[in-house]
Amino acid sequence: MPPAENSPINVKLLLIGNSSVGKSSLLLRFSDAQWLPEDESSATIGVDFRVHKMNVNGKKVKLSIWDTAGQERFRTITSSYYRGAQGIILVYDVANRDSFDALPRWYSELETYVSSSVVKILVGNKVDKEFSRQVSTTEGQQFAQRMNSLFVEASAKTSVGVKEAFEEVVSKIIDTPELWASVGDKGAKTPKRSDATSATGGMPGNIDLSADQSTQADGGCGC
Amino acid sequence: MPTELPYAADAEVSLSYDELEVLRLQYEKEVEAGHVTIQTKFNYAWGLVKSPVSEDQVEGVRLLQEIYRSEPARRRECLYYLALGHYKMGNYDDAKKFNGLLLEKEPSNLQAHSLQTLVDQRLARDGYIGMALAGGAAAIGTILLAGLIRRATRSK
Repeated sequence: MPPAENSPINVKLLLIGNSSVGKSSLLLRFSDAQWLPEDESSATIGVDFRVHKMNVNGKKVKLSIWDTAGQERFRTITSSYYRGAQGIILVYDVANRDSFDALPRWYSELETYVSSSVVKILVGNKVDKEFSRQVSTTEGQQFAQRMNSLFVEASAKTSVGVKEAFEEVVSKIIDTPELWASVGDKGAKTPKRSDATSATGGMPGNIDLSADQSTQADGGCGC
Repeated sequence: MPTELPYAADAEVSLSYDELEVLRLQYEKEVEAGHVTIQTKFNYAWGLVKSPVSEDQVEGVRLLQEIYRSEPARRRECLYYLALGHYKMGNYDDAKKFNGLLLEKEPSNLQAHSLQTLVDQRLARDGYIGMALAGGAAAIGTILLAGLIRRATRSK
């Protein structure tokens, strides 16, 4: 169980997924009840951060939400923020097939950086674009189930499903004892790690920051 | 409930020594090989700018300036991290200048707005300190002057 009764519970969440699926928009809708049209909102640079306080099942929760850039060129930067996350919000755009097809890659990145007890929720965003939908609800649902993730469809534009997505992931985190085992061991312990390039799909220039130094020749002197 | 603003995530947290080493080794390997990819250079510059060590920050800003000049496609993130680097180094006027260039291109960029607020807060704080110092100096001057006058009047 989370520590203490009266002081707020600290929860770290991470938003990941392809660029332009609406990660920042979901966060802005959730935390500030705002919406910025697509042409006015610009792609996140590296990572953005917000704190949000909420009540879940009568418990005070202080959420630290890390909104990562979806663009490939920020992958090294964003990977440094996985550490310590208790919940991951994976976002795709229901009107963009590619963003859904990219999900296995995002899941394999998760496998590298966070422990399996970390709570995952798959969010199909932009359901307001029903007319140009490319991924059915059933398909999203089934994939989420296979990946052991919660699932919700949402629209940052109309605010449908947004609050529910955050609330669901947080209440599951609160109910996951492994994530509260001990301080300093918050879910991010001993991630599986095979080699330096596996996590990023071997994209040139993107490095696993936690790559084992001992495997590299001449890793600097300790003098 | 409103979000607690402002915040610049990359200004707050530094990489561990080992993490920065990974980026530095990759960069140096490519320098030795005679071809440095922009991605490697950018990653290293980012790690340096985040560092608490001021020499690292200076080097990071230098690399970012090179990338800014050579890589138009990467200008927006260069401007942001240049502003962030100068902010961390305490060069608030430079921070404002680079962030201002980004805001010119992207007036509704929330990250840039957040950073702008941080820079303005520091500038205001420095302004207050400056005023306090000036005020203190004036007070000391008054005391000294009063002393001199007293001495002068006594000696009469």
